[in-house]
Amino acid sequence: MRALRNPMVQFLVASFLLFGATWWATGKLSERAGRSEAVADARGTTDLLAHSVAEPAIPRKLIDIDPGAIDRFDRAVLDRLMVGDVRRIKIWRADGTIVYSDETDLIGERFPLDTEQRQVLTSGTTEGGVSDLRRSENKFETDESGLLEVYTQIMSPEGTPLLFEAYYSVATVQERAHEVLTPFRRITAGALLAILLLGVPLIGALTSRLTRASRARERLMLRAMDSSEAERRRIARDLHDGVVQELAGTAFALSGSAREPGISPGLKGDLDRAGEAVRRSLRQLRSLLVEIHPPGLNAGSLAASLEDLTAPARSAGTAATVSVSGIDGAPDHVVTLVWRTAQEAIRNAVRHARATHLSVEVTGDERQVRLVVKDDGVGFDPSAGSGEGSYGLRGLKSLVEDGGGVVDVDSSPDDGTTVRMVVDRR
Amino acid sequence: MSARTVLAAVTTISAIALPLAAVSPAQASHGGGGDVRTHGGCAGSAVWKLKVKPDSGRIEFEGEVDSNHNGQVWDWRIKHDGSVSAHGSSTTSGASGSFSVHRRMANLSGTDSFTFRAERRANGDVCRGTIAL
Repeated sequence: MRALRNPMVQFLVASFLLFGATWWATGKLSERAGRSEAVADARGTTDLLAHSVAEPAIPRKLIDIDPGAIDRFDRAVLDRLMVGDVRRIKIWRADGTIVYSDETDLIGERFPLDTEQRQVLTSGTTEGGVSDLRRSENKFETDESGLLEVYTQIMSPEGTPLLFEAYYSVATVQERAHEVLTPFRRITAGALLAILLLGVPLIGALTSRLTRASRARERLMLRAMDSSEAERRRIARDLHDGVVQELAGTAFALSGSAREPGISPGLKGDLDRAGEAVRRSLRQLRSLLVEIHPPGLNAGSLAASLEDLTAPARSAGTAATVSVSGIDGAPDHVVTLVWRTAQEAIRNAVRHARATHLSVEVTGDERQVRLVVKDDGVGFDPSAGSGEGSYGLRGLKSLVEDGGGVVDVDSSPDDGTTVRMVVDRR
Repeated sequence: MSARTVLAAVTTISAIALPLAAVSPAQASHGGGGDVRTHGGCAGSAVWKLKVKPDSGRIEFEGEVDSNHNGQVWDWRIKHDGSVSAHGSSTTSGASGSFSVHRRMANLSGTDSFTFRAERRANGDVCRGTIAL
């Protein structure tokens, strides 16, 4: 299945399917054309045999099935009628009696004429079609490939219209179709082969170019992520080494000053409140530092980092559980993506879900790493697509897709929310 | 044996055999390959022979008149089930002084009956025979 994603394979499969379909279609069309041409040929031959060979040679009394007249007619025309692929000749009277046939056992027998034969007998046109060999008039026909029958009107010397019928082997029709089909198929196959020969290197070059572009984009994205990570690390380090140290020193100084003897209670209270405010800011700043760049984030420390992320949920009264398994040795960028996705999902849950339970589960195998963040909160309608929640959802999807993963958010009103994320472990 | 003696013997045998043939009734006999043969005598000294044989859905008909004289002109006619199938005239020739007629006939359903009639133009002698298949 993975091979089917390759554009070259797709092109080859599509080409072969197209080739097969074209081969089948040209076969059908050629067969139809060949059949039509063979019928036209048979009509022409029948007209010629009927009006140039049979009609001038019909003796008087043939319509009465006179034995002498039959002999004379038979000797005069049989060799000239049974030519090429003609398999049978019959001459009918209007009442359905066969007055002559090369199969003499049929002479004198009577079979009802069908509507088309009666029309030809009266109108003088020439018609044809595939013979129904089950009809009793065809009891002597043994050609298994079938017969094509063509009939036209001729006149007896007495001025009585007769139906002249000639039968041809259907094998001839098939040969004709084959004659039409062969050059047509050669042209079609040649054209398709040429397209294939031209297309394969072209598609190969395009695929190669696309692959190179994709790799370059991937490298660029990784570099961007690395740069972003480095920038976060630098900001976190600067804050930690600068502002955090300054605030820690200030808080320490304020606490020390508040404990100095001899200061007024009012000033002591002010210093204690100021010290507390600085320490609160310090805690918030440290939380922010963890969010910007969790220290030492890797496969081994992911569980602890996720526990840290769920701390605000616990503080809000939500029972939170974290489970991590099967991700030993996963690359840092994959672990970072899992952590950031979990961070976004937990943040959304804390802000909007009003859940009583929140679970974070990370599992992995040799190919993929999966994250499931599930809460039993109020949920939402993902198809609504508006409001603050949708921004969070879009941010989540963007985050995962940029990192090369796939995310799915399953939620409905009053039925909680489940966020699933899968990323290749590479 | 001299040529004169041989000619005398043939003439004697013919003189005895032909009248015998003329008076004996025609009788059909079946040969190999499904053919039927018959023969008989004509008015005068000539004899006739008929043969019919089935052949690929047709019947091969052969009629012969043997008069022992060259140059005689005979008008003949073949009827198939009573209907004239062929007619013409022929002249006897060859050592036997005979002529023969071959015609292909349609093999119709049932028994096909053929009548051969030949009439010598000079004196009206008639040969007439019938055969069926």
